[in-house]
Amino acid sequence: MTDAAARLRRPLWLRIYLGITLLLFLAAAAFGLVFSPRDVTQGDLIRIMYAHVSVAWIAFVAVGLTAVFGALYLWRGKRRDDVLAVASGEMGLFFASLTIIGGMTYSRPTLNTFWTWDAKLTLTAIMVALMVGYFIVRGLIDDPVRRGRVSAVVAIVAAASLPFNYLAAEWFRTLHPAKSVALDGSGVTMDATMLAVLLFNTVVAGLVYLGFMIDRVRLGRVEAALEEERSLAATRPAPVGKEVVRV
Amino acid sequence: MNDLHAVLWIARKDLLQEARSKAVTVATVFFSAVTLGVLAFAFGENPLLMREGAMGALWVALAFAGVISAAQSWQADLEDGALEALLAWPVPRAAVYLGKLLANWGLMTALGFVLLPLAGGLYGAAIGGNGETAPALVVAVLLGTIAAGTLGFALIAVFYAGLTANLRARESLLPVLMFPVVVPILLAAVRASNALVGSGDLDLAWAWLRLLVGFDLVYAVVCLVLFRFVVEA
Repeated sequence: MTDAAARLRRPLWLRIYLGITLLLFLAAAAFGLVFSPRDVTQGDLIRIMYAHVSVAWIAFVAVGLTAVFGALYLWRGKRRDDVLAVASGEMGLFFASLTIIGGMTYSRPTLNTFWTWDAKLTLTAIMVALMVGYFIVRGLIDDPVRRGRVSAVVAIVAAASLPFNYLAAEWFRTLHPAKSVALDGSGVTMDATMLAVLLFNTVVAGLVYLGFMIDRVRLGRVEAALEEERSLAATRPAPVGKEVVRV
Repeated sequence: MNDLHAVLWIARKDLLQEARSKAVTVATVFFSAVTLGVLAFAFGENPLLMREGAMGALWVALAFAGVISAAQSWQADLEDGALEALLAWPVPRAAVYLGKLLANWGLMTALGFVLLPLAGGLYGAAIGGNGETAPALVVAVLLGTIAAGTLGFALIAVFYAGLTANLRARESLLPVLMFPVVVPILLAAVRASNALVGSGDLDLAWAWLRLLVGFDLVYAVVCLVLFRFVVEA
């Protein structure tokens, strides 16, 4: 299996990418911690916002993309879509958990409570629970085709709650602050420097997501190849040479 | 035979099966009554707490019973390859889902109508009125809330019960998967019921009821579209 071992090594370009992303991440943290002005009402606490909001946006993107790749898998039935969906799902669970941790860190000093059961927080907690369910289901099904289909369905149902989450701060009275950056074109109610820092943080969070995605997809392909090889070996009576199945 | 007939036939089959075995009826009625009793103990002897928690307890009892009902409706078909035969029927898979949904919704709504006076009596909650709204109207809206809430619940429960029907550990997996999804529905149903029972506040109840119907529609579309990927012959 020297071939598989070789495929497990991170290629040079990916290592360079991840290294640059790490440097950009440190730069983004420095922008938020040093260059951003203090907020009129929140003071230095506004610096937590850069980490929280950027991570939350990427969490939504990751969970949404899990559903998109899941839908593609249902449509085309290609194994690679399932591999992409899992990679994005793991990132979605990771970023959504970070969103909740960051939100609690931000909310304790500013709103004087770690947690409250309002619409936005509840829907985000539900999103984490749904993504955990996604991986529980995956762990319980051995047949790759069925596993891919069922987990894709779970991911799509999970993503169906995203629009509610996005609109929750407007529909309900909630402790969560309303959006300062509206996507409907009604404009931005935020200091220009602060907006620049926030957008830079979001781009870097997106680059972190992309880097982990690429690495996880690489691993997922090896996993899939190994699984296929094993199922072939199980159905075949005698070993026939050495073969590597590529996906 | 068109697809609507198929839906009605499957609903009829499930209800007939239930009328003969009474497995779901006995289990859900007894279980939800026990749940109401246990929650009453948990609230202690605080009459105010009991009164305000009455609708919450009702929906918890309905939710637990709904899981049993949905799981049983697939469980019965797993025996003797009945499910394979059902899926081999040349109708859309969504028709099978809709038929089972209809049967489950009917059972749960009936259970809700039975539990409502029980919960009211046990917890000392009365239909509130501020003198302006007629009690009959409040009761009618309350029954409508139960019907809309159990519809949303049955949509998700039947869908996920079908998904887990031939998986390992389905009994524990079903609640783990479906409860996060139904939380918004339960929340809206409890708030709407509370507004009606507490103060007879129709406006507040209406706001939550609208949200509840919105969730019902979204999940109805999602579940109907996705159901054919869920079951396999």
